[in-house]
Amino acid sequence: MNSSPSEILLEARHIVKRYPGNLALDDVTFRAYRGCVNVLIGENGAGKSTLMRILCGAEAPDSGEILMHGQPIRIESPRDAAAHGISIVHQELSVLPNLNLSDNIFAGRELTSLHCLVDRGREDMQTSSTLQRLHHPLAVKTSAAQLSLGLRQVLEVARALAHRCELILFDEPSSALSPTETKTLFAVIEDILKSGNTVVYISHRLDELMHLGDHFTVLRSGRVIGDAVRGEVSRDWIVQTMSGHSARQSTPRKYRQDQPVVLQVRNLSLPGTAHGDVVQQPLHNIAFDLHRSEILGIYGLLGSGRTELLESLAGGRIPISGDVRLNGIALSMHSVAETVAAGIVVVPEDRQRDGLVPELSVRENIALAAAGTPWLSRSKEAERVYELIRKLRIAVRDIEIPVTALSGGNQQKVLLARCLLRSPKVLLLDEPTRGVDASAKAEIYALLRELADEGLSIVFTSTEFEETRSLADRALVLCRGRVTTELVGAAIQEHALFAAASPSIINAAELSQGEVAVS
Amino acid sequence: MNSIGRLLSQQDRFASSSVRLILIALRARALLVLLALIVAFAILSPDFLTVNNISILSKHIAIFAILAIGMTFVVLTGGIDLSVGSVAGLSGMVAGYVLTQAFAHGGGVGVMDIADGVLAALLVSLAVGAINGWLVSKAGVASFIATLGTLYIARGAALLCSNGRTFPNLAGKLSTSVSGFAVLGQGRLLHVPAPVLLMLMIFAVFAVIAAKTPFGRHVYAVGGNERAARLAGIRVPRVKFVTYLLSAACAGLVGLIIASELESAHPATGGSFELNAIAAIVLGGTSLMGGRGSVSGSLLGACVIGVLADGLVMLGVSEFWQIVVKGLVIVLAVAVDQFQSRLQTRLLPFLMRSRSEMI
Repeated sequence: MNSSPSEILLEARHIVKRYPGNLALDDVTFRAYRGCVNVLIGENGAGKSTLMRILCGAEAPDSGEILMHGQPIRIESPRDAAAHGISIVHQELSVLPNLNLSDNIFAGRELTSLHCLVDRGREDMQTSSTLQRLHHPLAVKTSAAQLSLGLRQVLEVARALAHRCELILFDEPSSALSPTETKTLFAVIEDILKSGNTVVYISHRLDELMHLGDHFTVLRSGRVIGDAVRGEVSRDWIVQTMSGHSARQSTPRKYRQDQPVVLQVRNLSLPGTAHGDVVQQPLHNIAFDLHRSEILGIYGLLGSGRTELLESLAGGRIPISGDVRLNGIALSMHSVAETVAAGIVVVPEDRQRDGLVPELSVRENIALAAAGTPWLSRSKEAERVYELIRKLRIAVRDIEIPVTALSGGNQQKVLLARCLLRSPKVLLLDEPTRGVDASAKAEIYALLRELADEGLSIVFTSTEFEETRSLADRALVLCRGRVTTELVGAAIQEHALFAAASPSIINAAELSQGEVAVS
Repeated sequence: MNSIGRLLSQQDRFASSSVRLILIALRARALLVLLALIVAFAILSPDFLTVNNISILSKHIAIFAILAIGMTFVVLTGGIDLSVGSVAGLSGMVAGYVLTQAFAHGGGVGVMDIADGVLAALLVSLAVGAINGWLVSKAGVASFIATLGTLYIARGAALLCSNGRTFPNLAGKLSTSVSGFAVLGQGRLLHVPAPVLLMLMIFAVFAVIAAKTPFGRHVYAVGGNERAARLAGIRVPRVKFVTYLLSAACAGLVGLIIASELESAHPATGGSFELNAIAAIVLGGTSLMGGRGSVSGSLLGACVIGVLADGLVMLGVSEFWQIVVKGLVIVLAVAVDQFQSRLQTRLLPFLMRSRSEMI
């Protein structure tokens, strides 16, 4: 929106941030230019959100310095960031559900009278004028729990706007917004720029970035890979820089479509939830076949319904309609126990939360699901566990050590081993390589291919082009709960995936027709 | 909208108004239960609504209410304070120790000695509160465990004060010019017992803190979503720390009131009081998960507990049955609470829709 070169408002120099087993930011230098939209691009796990968390004081870097107006500043807490005029609209929404809108906006930064009493009148006034500016004249006393995901995002934006700040960080703000809400957001951003303030913007949606961005910084695996200004940037440049073609080494698997269909899904829909004035359906008439020995990738952005699809296949969500057959036998899709017994098992996205039992050993974690006999035989169990550890090449010498002592990649393999202990027919993986380093990724891909060659059918979801392309025999792209395209083999390319996954702004009206208005 | 749609929406609106009534009744359930209990006991026992009985009853209520109100903020942040009963006991013993020492040395300073005793008792209580607060907010110990530990420590310390003996005759004698400690528990102003006045004052202060100050909002914010509260710039550890201080201060005051009322301090005073306080808080509709509840609810809850206990005594119900009834009431209250929140979440989109239609 503003392409003239301008002064640097904020500069993060040589930032390093290390998590256990993962270098999230490796000597990153990032500049935010004053009065511009500074876009940060990168795949999941590239380090964008980590950098945002450091700038807003939610996390401290291991080394590096931050300068504002050329002066070094210390940001050790969200309070410090606010004091320096930095506000953030979080990706994972952080509203206080038990408080009303006005309380939410001013929590931690109360307006007071007599230095000790909250001045609710003034707060409510500023809240309603801020919401007015966002074209969402909600009642300030509404409880935040009643807001839809999109409106919660609006509340987040309002929180950032209500306080005087020079720099507003948007971490994937549009992922939960409807096209109209997105348009409003853009108008607000233009407004912010006009008043001389600065924006840092993260999104996966290329159209948005091309539309908004003045300065572009591309991150990959914790490093700054590219830097450009508006005019120099093309879609191709972004996609190529983001994914990095150097990683292209995998050879496509021999995939035979003549194999029998193992899993047949027809007309699968999940019940919708009211989001403001529209009903959004997480899944809408999904249909596909999964063949024996096939690896099917499901690609989609945040909110596309990929996790919901996997969860409902695993029996974790009760669909309103749908016919799911495993080897020709219909499943009721009403309980996880039933689908597991039928031979569909799932490796969840969040290993720590939904997968592993951290207090238990590697052996116990693997054998957790194997309680098929009324009593446990330790020696037999150990035998099978060792067999799987060898097969999956899990790097562990003693199976009695706690599972938390393993690296991310090996923890993921422990979960895989647990699933394989059930001798499943269909394996579902939600983000199979989340939080796993590059070499472990390649190994997991190789393993999954081997398993598929042995006759297992695999469905995985991913938000990474590279993963989808190198692992999937066939890919379905989801967007707003619908399958928008199906790609086979060599046709799985970044451009095709991206085009099908992003609800483009231009086609917004067309898409929103699919959403049923309530009134 | 077609006619069928209109018909449906009319039915919706009709249903929603009755649903809303049920929700309101559920929300005001503590008050309804209290009124029902009072009416029932008044009918069943002619002595229940006498001035004398109400005066005794209100003192009982005051003790539970002060403890419950003090602990409400802790519970609102999602914590719990099991140490309040022991802190009350310790507080009384510290005051007893200081006063007994003053009597032994002939006193002479009068009011100052009493002030010393009260001050020492409150300071020791605050110290226990500070330990709780530090353990929970800085050391990261779960509040249940931290305050379970201080429950034992404070009780042990109370017993150590006197080697397990009672400090008697704390009212003092006019001849030694040390007297007046009994005012706290036995005094009256315009026929209102002093403990009840203290309870009303504490209620007013806590209600204002909850509704009108940044700290009050921070308490709710921490209980609602601790991560979001931290990201919003709220100093979460500090908020938690202060809630434990307030809870301990109220517990210390309760210890003083009891010692003053009985004119003696017994080291076992306050045993299982924490459970009464938690029961009052839960009855008042405060969620043990934090974020939801109110100070006035805790006051109401304490009234329910007090009225129930007194009424059952007056009806001559066996002590053992009283315990069973108290347990039943608590379990029922939490079950109803769960039912209410589930009903509310299920009906929320429906209620919102009919509301927007009415606008």
